[in-house]
Amino acid sequence: MTAVIEVKNLTKRYRDTIAVDDVSFAIERDAIYGLLGRNGAGKTTVMSILTAQNFPTSGEVRVFGEAPYENATVLSRMCFVRESQKYPDDATPTHAFHIARLFYPNWNQAVADQLIREFRLPVKTRIKKLSRGQLSAVGVIIGIAARAEVTFFDEPYLGLDAVARQIFYDRLLEDYAEHPRTIILSSHLIDEVANLLEKVIVIDGGRIIMDEDTESIRGRASTIVGDTAVVEEFVAGREVIHRESLGRITSATVIGALSAEDRSELALAGLDVLPVSLQQLIVRQTQNAAHTDEGALR
Amino acid sequence: MVDEGRPLFLQIAESVEDSIIDGSLSEQEQAPSTNELAAFHRINPATAAKGIAMLTDKGVLVKRRGIGMFVADGARELLLTERRSAFADRYLDPLLDEARKLGLGPDDLARLLAERARTATTKGTSR
Amino acid sequence: MNRTLNVVRMQLVNRATYIWVPLIILGGTLVISLAIFGLIASSGADAEMFGGGAQAPLWYFGVVGVQALTLTFPFSQAMSVTRREFYLGTLLTAALTSFVLAVLFIVGGLIERATSGWGLGGYMFYLPWVWSQGPVVAGLFFFGLAMLFFVVGFCAATVYKRWGNLVLTIVLVSLGFVMIGAMWLVGQLRAWDDLFAFFGSLTPIALTGVMVLVGAMLAALSYRMLRRAIA
Repeated sequence: MTAVIEVKNLTKRYRDTIAVDDVSFAIERDAIYGLLGRNGAGKTTVMSILTAQNFPTSGEVRVFGEAPYENATVLSRMCFVRESQKYPDDATPTHAFHIARLFYPNWNQAVADQLIREFRLPVKTRIKKLSRGQLSAVGVIIGIAARAEVTFFDEPYLGLDAVARQIFYDRLLEDYAEHPRTIILSSHLIDEVANLLEKVIVIDGGRIIMDEDTESIRGRASTIVGDTAVVEEFVAGREVIHRESLGRITSATVIGALSAEDRSELALAGLDVLPVSLQQLIVRQTQNAAHTDEGALR
Repeated sequence: MVDEGRPLFLQIAESVEDSIIDGSLSEQEQAPSTNELAAFHRINPATAAKGIAMLTDKGVLVKRRGIGMFVADGARELLLTERRSAFADRYLDPLLDEARKLGLGPDDLARLLAERARTATTKGTSR
Repeated sequence: MNRTLNVVRMQLVNRATYIWVPLIILGGTLVISLAIFGLIASSGADAEMFGGGAQAPLWYFGVVGVQALTLTFPFSQAMSVTRREFYLGTLLTAALTSFVLAVLFIVGGLIERATSGWGLGGYMFYLPWVWSQGPVVAGLFFFGLAMLFFVVGFCAATVYKRWGNLVLTIVLVSLGFVMIGAMWLVGQLRAWDDLFAFFGSLTPIALTGVMVLVGAMLAALSYRMLRRAIA
């Protein structure tokens, strides 16, 4: 597997905060990655640095084997769709797409036109007069139609309603299936995007706390619910990443697959087993990492 | 359709196996492609591919070069055998556990089973 | 080179900034100047009148310089354009529009010369000193002036993007102090007469040369700052 992006010991320090703390990871070619984490965790900063729109304080970034800064050959193969993008004052979506076509060699107008129809985007209205959702649609259309070899989406769908978001996910998957490329999606709506992601990188407080295949994470944890004493007896010796109690009922989230014997034992003990979704797992892991410092992956 | 607690590729593989077992996908017929499965279930094509790969490794699907994936000869038999041995684990053990909770012994279970099987036959739902 | 030219097209999306507003300002000042010339002429005065209306579009070019950065730089980043391509493309756009403006000024001046000041003896474009070395030099002078204003605006906006509001304000205030300090010094040395004599002896081409030099320095400074600016 070839790594299309390599990051080594990347740190970004502002005057009194460390936005990105000694982060290292590799992005493999033609996979869809989720860059997940809370607001302010460092996702946007990392993506900005990878696209040379921001600069590292220290550390090394390589895209297609080269440093991206002021590197037109590397940059023209990347596309970064941000959350709130500024456009030229008088620009209409049509202008924006014309210009994108000039700069992105793989631009596909047919895809753009289809998306314009599906999002019902008024292309002759000036962008500064568009609603939040329509503005997001412009960014999303550029991101998909540009077909850049490496495409970043930084929560650009925040302004989109649920229907529009589903259109985005569906068209993205469809275009990706026909024209594979590397896609990095940042989101805090994890469950919505979970099925699109092949790999997941979780950032918390500027550090990476998870960097794995989505499929390996699924089923990794379960929630055991029942009488407190019984639950505690079952989870003794297991890694518990979250605990909640109400009266005599406790719900504990444990890491580790449950065998058939485990399930029998649980059924006999009168305990319920609930699956843990990707979002729940990541949320719990993040909360866990905040409490213990061992959460950070180096 | 998606179960949160289990890897998606397994669920995809299972859904294809289900259609082989119930006959909607016959032997020698072309299986849905990775992209078709991905689009239908709205999942990453790589995940769908993993499910297909698993079925190929198992011998349920075969690849015909240049054309695509096809259901292997004997796939249905293979799956039925596998499912039958898993049947006891998946269905009987939980059944027994629950029955125990409710105070139903093996004889009570046998009686209930015979009763229900009769009703099912008259309704015409058995194969 | 292609991508740099595409930056020009990207800039020119802002049609109002680069085309309409300058034309409106130019047209507006022309009309106002003509009206004033007309009033004065009709009241019986017979001398030649020189109006400063030609300045207005030039000052506006400073605004254009600011907007060339603030309105388009963030979008250029989204289009994966390097800062160098953006910089060169924007300067090229500035040169194009300055050229057009200079041509309009020359045409205006030629008309004024031919009609003896719009038939009213009033001149806005045909300022004697500027035209003392002929229309081509006059054109170069206006071109240099427009570019200088543009670069000043662009440079100021780059300072803002690179370091923020506070630093920009400090820079401008400091420049103000420097100006006042220089003026005080000149006064102390009783050098005002010499200063004016010196400026009077300059030819348009010489002043154009000075403007180009200052403009080039500010442009180079802008590029250095742009390389570390964040959209």
